[in-house]
Amino acid sequence: MIEISRLSKRYGAKTAVDDVSFSVRPGRVTGFLGPNGAGKSTTLRVLLGLDHPTSGTALIDGRRYRDLRHPLRTVGALLDGAGPVPERRAIDHLTWIAQSNRIPRRRVREVLDLVGLGDAAGQRVKKYSLGMGQRLGIAAALLGDPEILVLDEPVNGLDPDGIRWVRTFLREFAAGGRTVLLSSHLMTEMAETADEAVVIANGRIVARGSIEELTAGHASLETAFFALTEG
Amino acid sequence: MRAEFTRIRTLPATWIALAVTLAANTLLGLLAATDTVRVATSDGQVAVSQLGTVMLAPVYAFLAVPVFAAGRELRISLLATPDRNRFLLAKLLASAGTTIVAAPVLLLPGLLVRHAAGSLPAEMTAYLLLGLVGGGFAVLTRTAVIPLAVLLALPVLVSPMLAGLLPGLVRLLPHEATLSFLGTSTGPALSRTAGFWVLLAWAVVFVGAAWVATVRRDS
Repeated sequence: MIEISRLSKRYGAKTAVDDVSFSVRPGRVTGFLGPNGAGKSTTLRVLLGLDHPTSGTALIDGRRYRDLRHPLRTVGALLDGAGPVPERRAIDHLTWIAQSNRIPRRRVREVLDLVGLGDAAGQRVKKYSLGMGQRLGIAAALLGDPEILVLDEPVNGLDPDGIRWVRTFLREFAAGGRTVLLSSHLMTEMAETADEAVVIANGRIVARGSIEELTAGHASLETAFFALTEG
Repeated sequence: MRAEFTRIRTLPATWIALAVTLAANTLLGLLAATDTVRVATSDGQVAVSQLGTVMLAPVYAFLAVPVFAAGRELRISLLATPDRNRFLLAKLLASAGTTIVAAPVLLLPGLLVRHAAGSLPAEMTAYLLLGLVGGGFAVLTRTAVIPLAVLLALPVLVSPMLAGLLPGLVRLLPHEATLSFLGTSTGPALSRTAGFWVLLAWAVVFVGAAWVATVRRDS
């Protein structure tokens, strides 16, 4: 379970995240929605120990991410700007990540096969398409067979088959009692994948609830989103 | 640390840097041993072996290894090892270990052909300490380009410009201190012992600054 409590993050005079609280429960796919610059990525970076909070806490099963000795066995993450060196082979990229968290080497092959990159494992990442790079990021997130997934825009660059694969995978992952926090600004995709959503705008939470609750009185999640974030 | 070794070993830039360093060291060793090339200087024709800066030049190709290893994939490394102290310790140990393993291979052929194998411990120490300077600098700046450019600019541009004006300051720069430590300086020099301590101080300053920055700042 993920618990964000009264989290704030300021960069100088700018407040990126302002007193944000929400929790992400197991067995559900929780969407994290907001326009660019709303504070989504900052919240995720603090949750994953990359940035220090100004105040408040972001906990994973009651502990800070930084206090997890082998965090990838608990949390799998896909974040913008956390990709491999393009000259490295995909299999080498996953191998060093696996070694860093004492994950068995066989998992490297397993996750590459799982995301459909088994035949491209020996290729250098610079030869990958955008979608293949995104699949590699998802493979890295799955390496430690984690209970929790935190994915920032996972379907970016994926073709329709890839998008459907991610959607089905995340639904099954959550159905197995695991936790998924999914950030995306593709509303149609979010509506089909998430059970519930948290909406953030200007650094503050403006709405949260099931997709049905959020879309009540609106034609779609997209119109609900604009009503919530522009209102 | 094993993961860091894998990261360094599977980076093509590592092998290119090592190959260039080995080739340059061996070629310079051959030129120095045979005295086939002399360089025109203000003091007349000088043997390559007497030009400390030229003989030390291959280390700047080698520096790409610790610099690239330290400066790249920062965010993904921090996701894998969020404890900043463990993160930096693993990076430094892997970088130092790589130097200790690679340096004899890179240096010995050049030293052997000019019958100077006895210099290996001092040369290895110089590679190790300059590697820590470069690695710390890369962690601090989070790039590979700035540390390599600055470290290369010091002996090529800064030292020649300031050597006449501020010789006392120039001899304290990392490159000049290394030459003093190796006993190959042709400019204003420190004693070999003082050269070692100044170079060590540079390594401590850069690694210390990298450590403080890594623990305190956001990614």
